[in-house]
Amino acid sequence: MSLTPLPPLPGLPPLPGHTPQSAAAAAERAGVPLRADRHPVVAATADHILAVVSRLRELDLADISPAPSYRADER
Amino acid sequence: MTVVQPYELSLAEAADAIGDGHLSPVELTESVLARIEATEPLVNAYAAVTADSAREQAAAAEREIAAGRRRGPLHGIPMALKDLIDTAGVVTASGSAVRAGRIPDRDAAVTARLKRAGAVLLGKAHTHEFAYGLTTPQTRNPWAPDRVPGGSSGGSAAAVAAGSATFALGTDTGGSIRVPAALTGAVGLKPTYGLVPRDGVAALSWSLDHVGPITRTVRDAGLVLEAIADRGADSLPGSEYGHGHGGGGHGHGGDGRGPGYGIPRGGGLDGVRVGVPSDYFFDRVDPQVEAAVRTALDRMADLGARLVDVKIPLHRYVQAVQWGLMVPEATAYHAEQLGHAPELYGDDVRVLLEAGALLPAVDHIRAQRARTLMRREWEGLLGQVDLIAAPTVPATAAQAGQEAFGWPDGTTETVADAYVRLCAPANITGLPALSLPVGFDLQGLPIGMQLIGRPYGEAALLGAAGAYEQEFGPAPRAAVDTCLVAKK
Repeated sequence: MSLTPLPPLPGLPPLPGHTPQSAAAAAERAGVPLRADRHPVVAATADHILAVVSRLRELDLADISPAPSYRADER
Repeated sequence: MTVVQPYELSLAEAADAIGDGHLSPVELTESVLARIEATEPLVNAYAAVTADSAREQAAAAEREIAAGRRRGPLHGIPMALKDLIDTAGVVTASGSAVRAGRIPDRDAAVTARLKRAGAVLLGKAHTHEFAYGLTTPQTRNPWAPDRVPGGSSGGSAAAVAAGSATFALGTDTGGSIRVPAALTGAVGLKPTYGLVPRDGVAALSWSLDHVGPITRTVRDAGLVLEAIADRGADSLPGSEYGHGHGGGGHGHGGDGRGPGYGIPRGGGLDGVRVGVPSDYFFDRVDPQVEAAVRTALDRMADLGARLVDVKIPLHRYVQAVQWGLMVPEATAYHAEQLGHAPELYGDDVRVLLEAGALLPAVDHIRAQRARTLMRREWEGLLGQVDLIAAPTVPATAAQAGQEAFGWPDGTTETVADAYVRLCAPANITGLPALSLPVGFDLQGLPIGMQLIGRPYGEAALLGAAGAYEQEFGPAPRAAVDTCLVAKK
């Protein structure tokens, strides 16, 4: 499964991408160490995911709290 | 005159026949097992078939019923469970080499509930690996074997459509019940988040995962939900329409008494306000899909529904929220295994799990906050209308191996992204959503319409869908027999 690229975010600077080395270091820090041959493809995929998710930076979320434990009938 | 075989019966029809003494659980189970043998070479819906155990369960059901101890409408009815759902003593591998040969000690909560209701387990239905995908490549669509059944509950939907299970359970994180239901001409219900327990079901994303039924009819979906839900929707907000009026169906124990998800008979859709989105849900949708859904909407209006134009709130952020929640949750679930034997995962799943480790926590929290906002906006929307009606997916079943759809505006979209796009809002908001068949495209592939309701409004949703189905009938059984003949 892969993501379809979205149009660039208006008003937001382009995000700095991962290098294979920075992807390896970040994954290591997250407790998911990568094998060396995985660094480039994981870097590219992570950049793609972040490009999609970072669209949320457009939103003014004010003091809205997160919904970590979710219930459909309660705020 | 064509004789109807037991495997062709809907759950409700089979339950009525068993209740009347015209059909035994053993006859029904043998018929469905024979159907499995006939269709599996083409469809491959099952990861494992437990024929001997099914025969024993059916014989036990027959004895109990003969002794006057019928438990309800599911007693003696053969069904399939998605391979993500634990079954004590039966291999449950989540479609992955990571869990090959894994045999759980305990049943999932839903498995235990179906057993208590007397249902007969036929086997485990294929899933896209760990439910992290929308195609279920192991399985073929019973309507066209060169096409995917959708996913991730592709085996469950294909079995129901092919007649090789009378009903099935699936799971839904971004459409994984509704997508395969739509692509195979079945009914798929994603209940309100939390209504059906997920204990003993492998997680993809805890905050988005749901368990629910895939069936041949709307009425059947209500019968299964009754057996697996934590509590009756009738006592909860959002259930004020369409529940139980007329006392038809098998609301409670097959006798039409008491609370439940029985479908009202002959009530039509008088006064029901159906929200028809003027944006998002009809953007980048195959014209044949759009035409079939709009025809179905006209039919709902003919049945008394009032169609109301609505705008979908915050739709620009649906994909961002879905991925901001699902991607890191999935990686967290698999983190330990990824460190041990990552090569056991399929390529498509492995790269997403690995890349999920790189999403900053602040973006995950931002997705959770946006989710709060989205839920509030949808709550307001469902104050204006009783339910939302839209296509389930923007296209019919893709070819096996197809990677993308092209849209008239010149854009392309991956098959997975397209199939998730219209389903994800109900996962993010936790709202109940149901897909029902409303027609076919020119290639004879099924088209699904999605109805989205209020929290715990399953009875209302089933009532509206049931009213449509009673008027226009369920989808015919898949044309797999023609394919089987052609193959010989």
